[in-house]
Amino acid sequence: MDKLAKLVTDIGKLWANYSGAYFTGIENTLILAVAATLAGCLIGLLCGVLNTIPHTQNDHPLKRFFLKLLRALIRIYVEVFRGTPMVLQAVFIFYGLPYFTDGAVAFKGMAGIWTAALIVVSINTGAYMAESVRGGIISIDPGQTEGAKAIGMTHVQTMVNVIMPQALRNIIPQIGNNFIINIKDTSVMFVIGFVEFFATHRNIVGVNLLYFPSAVIEMVGYLTLTLLASFGLRWLEKWLDGDDNYELVSEDSLAMSAGTYSHPSRKSPFDEHSKEFDPKKELAKEKRARIRQELKFGRPKGDR
Amino acid sequence: MEQTILEVRHLSKSFGTHEVLRDIDFSVKKGDVTSIIGASGSGKSTLLRCINLLENPSSGEILYHGENVVRRGFNVPSYRSRVGMVFQSFNLFNNMTVLENCIVGQVKVLKKSREEAREHALYYLNKVGMAPYINAKPRQISGGQKQRVAIARALAMDPEVLLFDEPTSALDPEMVGEVLSVMQSLAQEGMTMLVVTHEMAFARDVSNRVVYMNQGVICEEGTPAEVFGNPQKQETKDFLSRFRNA
Repeated sequence: MDKLAKLVTDIGKLWANYSGAYFTGIENTLILAVAATLAGCLIGLLCGVLNTIPHTQNDHPLKRFFLKLLRALIRIYVEVFRGTPMVLQAVFIFYGLPYFTDGAVAFKGMAGIWTAALIVVSINTGAYMAESVRGGIISIDPGQTEGAKAIGMTHVQTMVNVIMPQALRNIIPQIGNNFIINIKDTSVMFVIGFVEFFATHRNIVGVNLLYFPSAVIEMVGYLTLTLLASFGLRWLEKWLDGDDNYELVSEDSLAMSAGTYSHPSRKSPFDEHSKEFDPKKELAKEKRARIRQELKFGRPKGDR
Repeated sequence: MEQTILEVRHLSKSFGTHEVLRDIDFSVKKGDVTSIIGASGSGKSTLLRCINLLENPSSGEILYHGENVVRRGFNVPSYRSRVGMVFQSFNLFNNMTVLENCIVGQVKVLKKSREEAREHALYYLNKVGMAPYINAKPRQISGGQKQRVAIARALAMDPEVLLFDEPTSALDPEMVGEVLSVMQSLAQEGMTMLVVTHEMAFARDVSNRVVYMNQGVICEEGTPAEVFGNPQKQETKDFLSRFRNA
């Protein structure tokens, strides 16, 4: 019991001295994770669209060659960045570019570290997202593509207007996965000196050696972030699905009988509206009658 | 003289070694309502899909106002926007409302203004009796309603010819009528239509030309009176007799 009490006081001590540092860490983690996930999604979407450009025997040989090359390049990108650890990718890019360019291209100062971290996490997420997006596109009924093509849409128009909105909805769980992974895995960016939530912990315990109490703060912090992200994503999915209900636009029951006009020389019956029955007036009349009733006898029980 | 819109010449299509269409020749004139009938697997749908270039013909030509559409470098999207298609499985865009379905093509492909497109879409939705449902999503309406929206979507593009690929085959019997009556009124208004169908009554009473396909070739064609009243080939007689007895 006294161990627990000690833990609480230690955490209290840490919090009193370093809460600002922890919050800065959380802020950096979130900014990097959000920005890199968004950028990664864009890369993934782009790869998905480029990957699915159809080519047929009728196309120019040069176009077909170019498309095949494009697919090969995307494949290589995905395999390389999905197949190597992100820590190493960070080192490769952060130290590799200055090495090869004799320091002409280097990531200097805080801005440089931010840039490098953003690039690494984005292209890493992009590699995963490219495959998720491909899966999302495959999962959409080919009839949707055919419907779009049949009204004359090009490949890009079909993708942007019809396929992607549906594919995106289907891969939101995947995007959520990647986002949550990014919240946690941005911690490996400490190798290039990026100070996010976990690096904050390393800096703090380096001074006062309170390893475990700080780790508890970290645990609770990360779990809070990921739980919030989970809830947010669920809410987003619900919002995208929209309302299950819809309103009929007209109460004109005539408008529902399709094809009841039989002669082309006569205009369709929808052009003339019956003046005898106005549904809006009827409804208003009913409502007035009910209110009068309620005023007289009170609202019936159980009406709410 | 009647204007020829589409002309199919020596069209063949094979999937691997399986030859689905062999040396098909026929043409569609302005105002024609052509029904293509035949047993399942006789190549009717493939023929229609070849015309809209959803399938690539293995050989042969398809001429649209005299221009070969299967040649390299032909502007396929613009051609497709003038040749409407209605599918067996509707293929309405699931991410859009009924109204959006009918607007998107006009705005993105024909580059019309949204207001103009909306008005045009509403006109056709009203025509097929779906105007009250413009805010519904495809998943919320019935099969017959979906097909009527699909017809309105195709019509909103102001196509020169409409292709129907078994438009009533996926529908419950009680919904077939509502779709057929929409198609009938279109035919009476002079729309050029090419209809793959199993509805013999429609082929006989509404169309002015009937094409009977059997095993990838056009077996017999003529007016409904000729094909239904006095079929020349034995295959046609056999095929039609099945429907008479039913």
